[in-house]
Amino acid sequence: MSGGVDSSVAAGLLIEAGHDVVGATLKLWGGVSDSGCCSVADVDDARRVAQMLGIDHHVFNYTEEFERYVVEPFVRDHAAGRSPNPCIECNRHIKFDLLFERAHRLGFDAVATGHHAQVLERDGRHHLIRGADDQKDQSYVLGYLREEQLAVLMLPIGDMRKSEVRVHAERLGLRTWDKPDSQDVCFIEASRGREVFLRQRIAFTPATIIDVASGEEVGATGAAELMTVGQRRGVLPGRDGAKRYVSKVDIGERRVEVGRLDDVLITTIHLDADSLTFAHEPLADGSPVLAQWSAHGAAQAGTLRWTGAWSIALDAPARPVAPGQSVVLYRVNEPAIVEGAAIVTLP
Amino acid sequence: MSDQYYFDHAASAPRRDEVTAAMEPWMHGVVGNPSGTHRAARAARRAVEEARDEVAEFVGAKPGGVIFTGGGTESCHLAIAGVTHHHRRTHEKSVIVTSRIEHNAVLDAAEMMARDFDDVTVRYVDVDEEGVVDLDSLSRALDNDVAIVSIMTVNNETGICQPLDGVSSLANAVPGAVPTHTDAVAAAPWLYLPMLTASIDMISLCAHKIGGPVNSGALIVRNDVALDAMVPGGGQERGHRGGTVDVAACVGLATAARITARELETTNDRVAEYQLRLTASLAFLPGCRITAPGASKVPGTVHVTFDGIASDELLFLLDQEGVCASAASSCSSGAGVSSHVLAAMGVTPERARGSLRLSMGAETTSQEVDDVIGILSAVVYRLTTSA
Repeated sequence: MSGGVDSSVAAGLLIEAGHDVVGATLKLWGGVSDSGCCSVADVDDARRVAQMLGIDHHVFNYTEEFERYVVEPFVRDHAAGRSPNPCIECNRHIKFDLLFERAHRLGFDAVATGHHAQVLERDGRHHLIRGADDQKDQSYVLGYLREEQLAVLMLPIGDMRKSEVRVHAERLGLRTWDKPDSQDVCFIEASRGREVFLRQRIAFTPATIIDVASGEEVGATGAAELMTVGQRRGVLPGRDGAKRYVSKVDIGERRVEVGRLDDVLITTIHLDADSLTFAHEPLADGSPVLAQWSAHGAAQAGTLRWTGAWSIALDAPARPVAPGQSVVLYRVNEPAIVEGAAIVTLP
Repeated sequence: MSDQYYFDHAASAPRRDEVTAAMEPWMHGVVGNPSGTHRAARAARRAVEEARDEVAEFVGAKPGGVIFTGGGTESCHLAIAGVTHHHRRTHEKSVIVTSRIEHNAVLDAAEMMARDFDDVTVRYVDVDEEGVVDLDSLSRALDNDVAIVSIMTVNNETGICQPLDGVSSLANAVPGAVPTHTDAVAAAPWLYLPMLTASIDMISLCAHKIGGPVNSGALIVRNDVALDAMVPGGGQERGHRGGTVDVAACVGLATAARITARELETTNDRVAEYQLRLTASLAFLPGCRITAPGASKVPGTVHVTFDGIASDELLFLLDQEGVCASAASSCSSGAGVSSHVLAAMGVTPERARGSLRLSMGAETTSQEVDDVIGILSAVVYRLTTSA
């Protein structure tokens, strides 16, 4: 529970449905925070919501694990020129791994969250599917869930639109907890940004910016670690005036490649085999998939390939995808169903 | 089996009925302002001064040295910041010497002074692996720049007793003698303070750890140690703490102190046996390690760690069974945090994650101890086998 409207209503609906519910808030980040989901004020809000709902509330401290599984990899990835998604890593390693294990040890039958996604049970199997509110759908950040986790996961608001959630909040008397949705990475102060956070932990690498088509040096950056493959913002247009996109960040060579959209489009996304996770049995080489690589981006059609390494061959060229990002695979004929997920890597 | 086993006296002790009864007349209707002159004010002032006498007796000090405060944290803060501020006016450098295992009331006051004033620094005294302040380390930290030495009487997390005699000897050996302060909050329910703190200049107390109300405490100053007020206000408490004196809070503290002193011996004997029984039983549980087994501890506290078990989970299941206990260190959000006390003792973070403090008091019964041993065994067994 974050004290926000989604998790509060999720808890309220479960209580109304007759479940024996205990509220839990995870204390994840021990440092300074002005956003996200783990400040003392959020814990206080969550506790107050639990009191109003008449349930017990516990705060679980996962700050050490959060540092180990989320923050340190976030820093390490940036230092290697990758662009990780810390929210996905937190879901993978903390919320749906450590918390699930803990819930099991403590004797709970299920774990519920206020995510906008749904669990569909069909023929004895559990499938993660997109939330009913396509503006709020969070199935992307839950993409690594497997059958054994889905079987004990409840997502009480996943079949609602946000406006319906707010109606329930009002009905349950929770409307004062109508907080804005958290959008930012919780351990990075929105007012200071990623750069300030990373500078405390790594030394930035100056790099030259090369136009990939001409091989010409078109600029320089003081911090290659802050350049993200696919980014356009902050990249100077070329002499022709056309927008340039980052296509490659090579920290070792102190080199960032940029190009016009036509020059940098990709048709293959390479997947890290260790991270590749399927909800059920693995998809085979040649399986058609819908691939989505950002929280609210559109899913693109492609084919899963095994050629000694995993990749996705895209049907249509796309803007480059940053290594470290996750690709979530949706089913082609039932496009709301999540099949699995993997981290993007270099070939 | 009862539905609640309260084993968190070290966090807050049950309010004694005798305390509530003594406070009651001062909690409704006309309660005079003790600073006034009319009959209602005089009655209030008389209650405050009688309370002052009792608090002074509790620690073996003169009544004039008792400064009533809003609790233990404020008392510690007043001692550290008040003495250091006073010291700064006549010295170029001011050093605060304290141990690494102090309560945050002391540590944060010291750090605040060092942060806010360039001429103030903090020197930390180490503890040994039994959690006892290292007097050699203290000796090295002392010189003519030291404004105050603050070493707690008993550690609040572990219950381990500290060598106050050694502290005062070393402080007095410095030319001019260094003022000493002790946070006696965790010691007050158990130890005879007039003897133990006789050579210490300042003693911090708090009422709710001895069955009194929260937001009530005192800093007791011996030997006319000079300190600045943190809240000068209207000059109450001989200029040491402004603000209208809370009669009920003073009476509550004094009554709790009187009861504690009266029952000290019998409570100690009884609870010491519980402590022995608990410690001996817990030692047989899988992964259990007694914290600082050789150290001298107050009877009320049993501190252990469990290998491979997270405190969060242990406390959750104990709570389900009605046992109120603690991991002894938590932050303002209510989440358990790794203990600076255990870290200072050289306990690894992994081991510290499985901390459990069971703390008892005058109300604890023999039956409760046996029940809790049974519950704890079942819970630990469950967490060990389901891991």
